[in-house]
Parts: sequence; C-alpha cells; structure tokens
Amino acid sequence: MRIEIDHSLTCSLPPGAAALVMHLMLTPQSGPSQTVESWSVEAAGIGNAGRFRDGYGNAVHLVNQTRPEGDITIGARGMVVTQDTNGVLGKIAGEPVPSLYKRVTGLTRAPVTLYGKYRSAKDSRLDVLHGLMARVGETLGLREETEPMTQMQATGEQTQSQSTEPGPELPPTADYVHLFIGAARALDIPARYVCGYLAAGEGVAGGLHAWAEAYDDKLGWIGFDAQNQICPTERYVRLAVGLDAESALPLRTVPVGEIVQRAAVKAV
Amino acid sequence: MGEKTPFDEMYNPDGSVREPYRALAEWLAEQPDKGLALMQTDAEAIFRKLGITFAVYGSDEGTEKVIPFDVIPRIIAATEWRRLSKGIEQRVKALNAFLYDIYHRQEILKAGRIPEKLILNNEAFCPQMMGLEPAKGVYAHIIGVDIVRVGPDEFYVLEDNLRTPSGVSYMLEDREAMMLLAPDLFHRSKVAPVETYPENLRRTLESVAPESVRGTPNIAVLTPGIYNSAYFEHSFLADQMGAQLCEGPDLFVDGGKVYMRTTCGPEQVDVIYRRIDDDYLDPLTFRPDSMLGVPGLFDAYRAGNVTLVNAPGTGIADDKAVYTYVPDIIEFYLGEKALLSNVPTYNCTDEDQRAWVLENIADLVVKEVHGSGGYGMMVGPTSTKAMHAEFRKKIEARPDNYIVQPTLNLSTCPTHISGDVAPRHVDLRPYVLIGDEVRITPGGLTRVALKKGSLVVNSSQGGGTKDTWVLED
Repeated sequence: MRIEIDHSLTCSLPPGAAALVMHLMLTPQSGPSQTVESWSVEAAGIGNAGRFRDGYGNAVHLVNQTRPEGDITIGARGMVVTQDTNGVLGKIAGEPVPSLYKRVTGLTRAPVTLYGKYRSAKDSRLDVLHGLMARVGETLGLREETEPMTQMQATGEQTQSQSTEPGPELPPTADYVHLFIGAARALDIPARYVCGYLAAGEGVAGGLHAWAEAYDDKLGWIGFDAQNQICPTERYVRLAVGLDAESALPLRTVPVGEIVQRAAVKAV
Repeated sequence: MGEKTPFDEMYNPDGSVREPYRALAEWLAEQPDKGLALMQTDAEAIFRKLGITFAVYGSDEGTEKVIPFDVIPRIIAATEWRRLSKGIEQRVKALNAFLYDIYHRQEILKAGRIPEKLILNNEAFCPQMMGLEPAKGVYAHIIGVDIVRVGPDEFYVLEDNLRTPSGVSYMLEDREAMMLLAPDLFHRSKVAPVETYPENLRRTLESVAPESVRGTPNIAVLTPGIYNSAYFEHSFLADQMGAQLCEGPDLFVDGGKVYMRTTCGPEQVDVIYRRIDDDYLDPLTFRPDSMLGVPGLFDAYRAGNVTLVNAPGTGIADDKAVYTYVPDIIEFYLGEKALLSNVPTYNCTDEDQRAWVLENIADLVVKEVHGSGGYGMMVGPTSTKAMHAEFRKKIEARPDNYIVQPTLNLSTCPTHISGDVAPRHVDLRPYVLIGDEVRITPGGLTRVALKKGSLVVNSSQGGGTKDTWVLED
C-alpha cells in the first residue's frame, strides 16, 4: 500500500526564550514492513542539524534556533510503501539487543491481575501475547465500532490529530500501549513502544497512532495494537520506537513548549 | 578482620620499623619538641593560602572548610605498589570492557554471569547509551579506586568510583605542601612524582577527542558551579592543564556541535571533562528541570561531535550491587583471576543472609546502594544501639537498597595528633587515567580518620588527608 503522510507540528514556547533546541524523531526508516519512498523534514535550522541514531536506533535531528519567535512549525511529509507482514517485523540488524526492552519504566507498569495467569502458562509466547492484548482491551475498554482512535499523547496532553473525537470514557492510546508493554515485561518478554501513523480507510480516520511490539525468540519483533485489538497491517507506518511514550516522542524541546500535532495519512 | 590489632604500616608487631618507613622513622626521631606541631601550623597556613577548601553539606559553620592535613606522609614500598597497580589496571580494563558489553550485545547477561534485572532495571543504567561507540572504546576515563589494607599482603577494593571521582587536587596539593614543609625528608628517600597528573590528564583527554578533530583538541572542564563541594578542584584542574573552566550557560549547541562563548566569539569544544552528574548534564535528554547542563549536549555527543568524560552511564559499573560481581567481570572479559580482592559483601535480598545480617548488625558496615561520601552508612561497632535498630528497620523495609560488609580492620599509619604521634586508620584512593593507555599516578590520596579508633575516613565525616609516597627502587 502506498501511504502519503503529511505530519505537522506546532510548538508554542514560553515568551522570551533566547534559544531553542529540538530533538526531532520525525524520520521513518525502511524495514521489513515498509519502504520509505520519499521523505522530508522541514523546520527552521534543519539544514544545519546534527544527525545521528539514538540508543533505540531512531534517526534523530538535533536542531537549534536562536531567538525563536512566535510558534515554531515543523513539517514531516513523504510517501511510504507498506506491506502486510501479519504484524511480524522480524529481527532487524543494527538494532539494540531486545533485552534492553525488559527495562521497566515509570510509565510501563501493569497490575499482576493482568498478566498473573500467564506466569506459569504453558502457552507459546505468541499465544501469551495475543492473550495479553485481549486482556488489555478488556481492562481499558474498547470502542464499539471498528473505527480506531486517532489521538495520541505526545506532550502529556491530548493532542488533536484529526476530526474524530475519542469516546469520552475511554483512556488515551498510550495507556493501552503502556499497559501491554508493562504486562509483557513483567513476564520477562521484551516489549517496546512504537509511535507511528495509521492510514485512513473504510470507517477509519487515519492519523497519528501508537502501538506496542513484543519480541519472540523465533519470529523477532511482532506488533500488537491493543486499542484496536489487531496486529499491525499494511495501514501502519512505523516512525519511532522507545521504552515508552516519553522516549519515543517525535519532538522534544528545551525550553519545553506546548506541542500540537496533526497528521493526514492516506492510502493513495 | 575481627577484633585483632590493626595492621600498622610503620611498625612490626615486635616494635621494629618496617623497611619502607626507615627513613621516616629516623627523621621523626630527629624532630625537636613541638617540631611537628609547628609544621602543622605552617601546613594550615599553606593550605589557606592555596585556597584549598571543601564544602560540607548540612554543616552550620560556613560552607568552606580547610581539609585537615597530616604532616606525616604515608609510605608504600615499590614492590607493594607494583602489585597494587597491576591489580588496579586489571580492574579498570575489565570495567571498561563490561561497560562496552552492557551498552552493546550484553554477552555477560546472556551468559547468566550477572542477573539481567540487576543491570537492566538499574537506575544507573543509561539506555540512551546503547550502541554508542566511544573514542578508543573507553567509557570511564577517570577512575578513583578506593582500597584498604588489612595486612602486609592483604588489600581490598572497597569501591570503584567511575562517575566523577574527586579528591585528586588534594593529592597534588598535599605533595606540594609536604615538599615545602619537609624538603630534607625528600632527600632521604626516592619518591615517585605525582605532579605529572595534570599533564597526563590532558594527554588522556586529548587522546579521546572525536576522530574528526584536526590539530590540538579544545578541552573544557564543565562544573556545576561555585556551590559544588568540589568546585575548587574543578577550577584547579582546569588551571593546571590549561583548559577552560565552564558552567552550563557558557556552552551551547549549534548545528550538532558544542561551542563555548568567549570574548572572541564562539569556539568549538572537542572534549568535555564534566563534573556534573548524568541526570543534570542535558535537560533535552535527562532531567528536563536541570539548569546546570547544556541543552542538546548528549545529542551532540551521540552525533560524534564531542567527547564526554566520563561517558554517561558509567555508574552502572560502580553500582554497589554490581560491585559484588567485579571478580566475575574480570574473569569474563580478561580470562584472569582478580588480582585485588573484593570485600566480602552480604546480599540482603537473600533471606538467609538477611537474617544473619540483622542478628550481627553490631559488627557490620551497612551502606546504601546509591549512597556516597559516607552519607547514609552505618559502622556497626562504633554506632549506638538505637542506630543498629534504625538500620535493622531500614534493611527490612528495603533489603535491595543496602549492602552489608564485615567491619574491616583498616591498617593504621603514624599520624600527628596534638604534638604526639599516634596510629590512625587510613584508606587509599589511587587515580587512574584511561585513554590511549592506562596511566596510574603512583600513590593517590590517603584519607585518615583523625578520631581515635574511627574507621570513617570521609572528609565530610571528620577525616583528613596525608601525602602518599610510593618509593622508587
């Protein structure tokens, strides 16, 4: 599937900032499930950016601006060709050892009631992970229609990405991902946070999204979207990974600003 | 290690003088009445003039104090030092190999030699360091290994300080003061120099500059500022090696590189000897509320445009819970037995060991896993029953937060105590520099517990220092 992405971010800074330093993780990478056909990141100062791979393997731009004025706008857009791998990403050369993703962070804790019954289960790891995905859905609640939510937490606040409002009583996407990750790690299974895009489709309003990936010694990394109760399909585009939402944030700044972002994601 | 007489570094049990101390014993015998007391007064004047002070946290008597200096040097024989320095070199090589492994393939965890959770869920483990290739493969460039002696041939490593060990300025100033106070004593013995430390520090820092640097690398010392207890040392070392002393706001990141603001405009910095803790180094990557660091500094480091010394995340190798595994670490990476012993350490998360510890706490030393500087620790034999009870409770509440060791009967050295000479307990912190090669300054900093019978040598807890001599053959 060819997916066109137009991701725009606006950062409102506290007044009087003498300098702005930004850490941008806005560059998706080609891999088993996706090929980046074209991509560009637009921001003042991007031409002079420091570029590197972070500890999780993400492509990062370090951008600075002196005397930033008004709202800072950043755009990331391009075309990504995806293929359905049944959610299996496999083992990818150059990535950190999977066990890194056993580290428990403040955001990724799960109650033992959620994963306890799998501790001594003889199920395959894949069955356990599917079981966890279902338990997370039961615990946090699911939307009645198949329409996925398109909101994500990027700044700790709800960030509008598209026209669809989430059900008022349902928690944000990140909670589903964190709960799944926390449960997997408690069972000694490496699990990580993926921040990415979901293409619009039938009854689906695309946009920014987040899901989890867990590691199986045979299959490698496998995606799990507990909020939508499926493994990622060709509608999913991976952008950045991390231990939790915080370490996979597409944009971090000093000074800290208020970030609003939206993404138009459509199959073409 | 129990209640026997401590090992006296100067006198044999029969009262005869041990060989390395012979010249010193003669010199001491020749000193006139009040000679040492006068020398002590002179020493204090010298230190006040040099401005060597340190801050004691939580003390009412002003923030700055002169660290007590003892005018009688501590002496280590050449053969003893050769043994020690071999053991230290082995240790720092293994610890750097461990850091490389932990931040890459984690073979030691896969092999089950260290419990995975102990590393991966450790606060001192820095996931942002994964996959980074530090210059020359070195993570910890400056290490201060704390060593204690309990017998003629018995040395133990108390802890490996791989974050930002301090105290090296005292080592240098103690020597300078000693040469002013007793020049004749230096004529009687051949003492290995320590004055080369700043030059060796500079060489070490230059050797780990990013590969892209042409010409002489530009070095900066990054300090948290004048309120830090070791500020004097930061400015002293910058001055001694001809580097700029900077605070966070003096540095900034532009185009992925680090620059220093100078009166002649921005100047790129290649190597930063940072004396700011990991958490405060860069608000963009670590604590967002840090005002001490430089926003974007860690990213510039990851981009390969600057070297941070020591690298962030080295604390995982001197974590008190990881300490017990250092002999395994040495064996795993070097295929050798550890030359220097660890102090036997009890693991309070183990039920049997904890029960034994709680029963015998009056004879043991309890340390907080993440504590330092003598804070948050208890020495059983010199603590009250109330303290014993308090630490029993603490251990029961959080067994993973404490390590427990036997009380070591630290060796003693002759020390000047109000006109007299009396034995006092000492430890030793040799300083190691690791870059293109391993450079160990002969000797190091000897800390002495000035209170009779006390085993706590930390300057923040009433300890002093001594000039430390390594004799040359």
